[in-house]
Amino acid sequence: MLDILTSFYGLIPVTIAQSLIVAFVVLGVMLPFRILNFPDLTSEGAFPLGGCVCGTLISMGVNPFLACGVALVCGFLAGCTTAFIHLRFKINTLLAGILVMTMLYSINLRIMGRTNIPLFTYDTVFTILAGPSANVSWVKILIVGALIALVVGLMLYFFMSEKGTSMRAVGASPDMAEAQGINVGIATIMGVGVASALSATGGSIMVQTQGFVDVNMGFGILINGLAALIIGEAITGRQTILRQVMAPVVGSIVYYQLISFCLTLGLAPADLKFATGAFVLLMLALPNLRKSGSGTQIREKIRE
Amino acid sequence: MTTNMLAVTGGTKIFYRGTLDERRALDGLNIALKPADFCIVIGSNGAGKSSFLNAVSGKLPLDAGRITIDGQDVTKLNAHRRAQFIARVFQDPMIGTAPTMTIGENMLLAELRGKPRGFSYGLTAPRKAKYREQLAELNLGLENRLDMPVGLLSGGQRQSLSLVMAVSTRPKLLLLDEHTAALDPRTAKLVMDTTVRAVEELKLTTLMVTHNMEHAIKYGNKIVMMDAGKVLLEIGQEEKRGITVPDLIDRFHTKSDAIALQGS
Repeated sequence: MLDILTSFYGLIPVTIAQSLIVAFVVLGVMLPFRILNFPDLTSEGAFPLGGCVCGTLISMGVNPFLACGVALVCGFLAGCTTAFIHLRFKINTLLAGILVMTMLYSINLRIMGRTNIPLFTYDTVFTILAGPSANVSWVKILIVGALIALVVGLMLYFFMSEKGTSMRAVGASPDMAEAQGINVGIATIMGVGVASALSATGGSIMVQTQGFVDVNMGFGILINGLAALIIGEAITGRQTILRQVMAPVVGSIVYYQLISFCLTLGLAPADLKFATGAFVLLMLALPNLRKSGSGTQIREKIRE
Repeated sequence: MTTNMLAVTGGTKIFYRGTLDERRALDGLNIALKPADFCIVIGSNGAGKSSFLNAVSGKLPLDAGRITIDGQDVTKLNAHRRAQFIARVFQDPMIGTAPTMTIGENMLLAELRGKPRGFSYGLTAPRKAKYREQLAELNLGLENRLDMPVGLLSGGQRQSLSLVMAVSTRPKLLLLDEHTAALDPRTAKLVMDTTVRAVEELKLTTLMVTHNMEHAIKYGNKIVMMDAGKVLLEIGQEEKRGITVPDLIDRFHTKSDAIALQGS
């Protein structure tokens, strides 16, 4: 037992670093889902898109910061596409997301030109900022943590600004928002776009920490993000906008520690996706099993 | 002669055009309202009352005809663009407000209706003070609950809030779509009294759809009776005095029967 705890303890910093990167994706899952009431799957494609774009550019000798910026813009466009498909052609949001995600796989392959690019020999954002200590977990935590704090702070401010309040109104009641002079279409496109930009940013940071790009990276990232979001919301609640934007970060950190703990306990990595899926299913089903759960209404929203 | 605050000329909207289900929701509708007119719209189900309101608000684009508000042609403007002129209270208290957002945030959304929204902080202290003042007039205690989500309010409280949100910006046109129909009689009266007070105080040009004949007689200075997407009958201020509910129902039937006879 003790050696299990020791190895779990030893993994904590690595896991925190990873969970902070995935927190971008969880924020990207939360925004359409909770703020816009637009269940969106684009993240699953935007995350590898961000990685592929950023990795390919870095391998071509482009400045890593610029590469991250381009990845962000590409993610934004992917999200806009999903929202546009839904709004213009009245295609279900989930189906629109799946379409974009599927098409992105080919685009990612085209961008990379092959399935895998190693990045170990290139400068990354981390080597530029931290030099030789770039691979130390605490350094990664510091850099990514600062960035995620900045993003959360910006989101918090935005959602309390005039524009952000109107974006939240679009999710809360589209008819009301329109009657108050809010352009529902533009707000939806921008919101889903920003969400995918966040997921793409997560992907671009991920490839720089792991040292390679793979076209299959992030398979199942959406369900991980969803699980993290649900855990985060169970901890922070969602009564205020502060709690709602904190939930993804808190949830991501807790969720990945749980996974790490399960793995050190002996859960086979092959079973991980099943375990995650079963967990999300359980969380969604729980209120119905209990019949009179206090969280029923909140969770019903997800199932729709 | 003053310009009309609202003028609909030849307003036509046809659903399922060219199919067996073709239905003329609005059929050459003509209506004009002077500033500060308080016009009550009545008519049976399917007469086109809701289509009329939706056409004015921009939710339902017209197939033919023209709509002007205060002399400005708005026929081609989207609903969210027209919101700078129009405030609306819906029948369903759940639609008119954003349930998961707080009372203060809902007031903010209404205050910025039709205005550019920037990146500056939304619910500032001066704004909150102003909202408290506006809500205090309702005597519902909402002014002390600015941070409460609107979803926790009762239907009557939400509808009262919707009303304050609608009138506080002094819109050129106020649309009331059976806004007391979903409320119990006592609450309905409360909301109706608040409506009348606000409309008279602020001299708002108002269109109110109702099925309540007593309301139609008691309130407003003009009654418009609709049938089959047209104005069947207009009753002005002079004529409206002394009219009774049976009168109104009587006229309604005579007119519809006449139409029915013509058709056969």
